[in-house]
Amino acid sequence: MLLFRSEEHVNRWLAGRPRGAILSTAELSDLATAWWGDRLAIDWKPHTREQNQRILEDLGLTGPFWDLGS
Amino acid sequence: MARPRIEGLDPSDLELRNATYQVFVELGRAPSIEELAAARGQPVDVVRDGWRRLHEAHALVVDHETSELLMANPFAARATDFRVYAEERTWFANCAWDAFGIGAALGVDSVIETVCPDCSDPIQISVTAGVPDDLASVFHVLVPAAQWWNDITHT
Repeated sequence: MLLFRSEEHVNRWLAGRPRGAILSTAELSDLATAWWGDRLAIDWKPHTREQNQRILEDLGLTGPFWDLGS
Repeated sequence: MARPRIEGLDPSDLELRNATYQVFVELGRAPSIEELAAARGQPVDVVRDGWRRLHEAHALVVDHETSELLMANPFAARATDFRVYAEERTWFANCAWDAFGIGAALGVDSVIETVCPDCSDPIQISVTAGVPDDLASVFHVLVPAAQWWNDITHT
């Protein structure tokens, strides 16, 4: 889960290895806010798998790559 | 990005978890078992055993050999390539996702520093009210979501 200067840098770094998924920094910020925003809340409860899957889906992150599994 | 499991956690475990995070935020680094035990007036075994249960529940990550903290996501206990500045303090993050997560968890603006793994150029991103100022850089996640916990140090 790394930051690169651009998609071109990702492809060069992969050197032919299979690519994972790429998000913009704006998408990453939205994801981090939804995923971690309650982490320091005094009444924090662990997200369920379903909650986390919904976070991904709400941001358009769907399909087999983003399936958290069981 | 841990897969949630809450079996075996009782209110005292959750209280220990919250105290761990609170001290982590205050110190800008991970507390040791001894530091947290002293802060809470508890024997070190109580903290060690509690952290172990929290690890098993994926609420934080401890070192198998030392039982000390490795991660209280999004905060990293060890120095990493992801440094986050906020509220006149700094923390290390475990990955880019967590780096953005520190400001989100604190509810404050932040500055993230890392290096591009391809060219080693520095990347600095200011996040203000959730909006990053660098829209050229991109985030790459290598492994599918179902493997995030198993590959927690290689995603």
